[in-house]
Amino acid sequence: MTVSTNIASANRSSKYTAMLRGALAISPLSIAVIPWGILAGSYAIEVGLSPLESQAMSAIIFAGAAQLVALGMIKAGIGILGILLTTLLITSRHFLYSMALRKDVSPRPLKWRLILGFLLTDELFAVVATDNSKRHKFDPWYALGAGLCFYLSWNFATLLGIVAGETIPNIEQLGLDFAIAATFIALIIPLIKNSSILISVLVSLVSSVVCVLLNIEAGLLISALLGMTCGTLHEKSKGDNT
Amino acid sequence: MIWLIILGMAALVFISRYIFLEPKLPLTLSKKTHRFLSYSAPAVLTAILAPIVLIRENTLSISFDNNYLIGAVIACLLAYFTGNTLLTALVSMGIFFFIL
Repeated sequence: MTVSTNIASANRSSKYTAMLRGALAISPLSIAVIPWGILAGSYAIEVGLSPLESQAMSAIIFAGAAQLVALGMIKAGIGILGILLTTLLITSRHFLYSMALRKDVSPRPLKWRLILGFLLTDELFAVVATDNSKRHKFDPWYALGAGLCFYLSWNFATLLGIVAGETIPNIEQLGLDFAIAATFIALIIPLIKNSSILISVLVSLVSSVVCVLLNIEAGLLISALLGMTCGTLHEKSKGDNT
Repeated sequence: MIWLIILGMAALVFISRYIFLEPKLPLTLSKKTHRFLSYSAPAVLTAILAPIVLIRENTLSISFDNNYLIGAVIACLLAYFTGNTLLTALVSMGIFFFIL
């Protein structure tokens, strides 16, 4: 570190402000994820993992959907190869997030790339990508604050689940996934600034619903790519770039 | 075996999140690709939320009986008129859990 302490102390408050801003931005999602974290912990115990293994899933893998699906497969006696292939399918959408953030993150030092890469969940991408388009400037401290807040929430919830040791009954019927929908809506609506983005959103909406109804596994990624393609094509045909 | 599964999954998930953040990866994204990627946030987030809102018990549900849909419409209106993310999320959740 060759940065002088004066500059460092002057920057410190703005770093904390940015981290707090990130933590605040992701807070509704951090709350929404708690029941799922509890489920990940208690389900792991139910499937037969030790408390340490159960916590390690959340601490090391840190990917809710993949964890829950893998636990179901372990319970069903499916082998490691099947589990890893399924994980690859579920996690494939992260390639897209990683590519979208390449411009902002890849020029940064290794430690930044590693930590932000590790923390890059759907939720972090949601608050970072939408903040980017608002400010036209990427702030790694904002991303770190948001990512750490979400990581702590997920792992604390998992711990609660491990300690409680029993599955919350009818978690789907509690309506907690509405919190995710509401937060994502709040993030998306301000992004819709022109007809191309609107088209991208509508195509993705219809496609994702159709994919789920038809039980298409990679529906999320297919729909996102389809929406992005239609938005880009429309922009090209219109010359629309307001 | 469990540890092998955990470590294998962790490696796959991390690689998928990290790979394009690596500057040594020989990939230069063209202006066209950047334009394409600029649609990723609205498109992906929509693809996550739309099934939550519109599919109830494995069937398409577009009716007043679907409180997720009503809540989502309220969230859209709040987001559009206030432009405040946190307020939109909290108020629409409050309405959903306590009223709908």
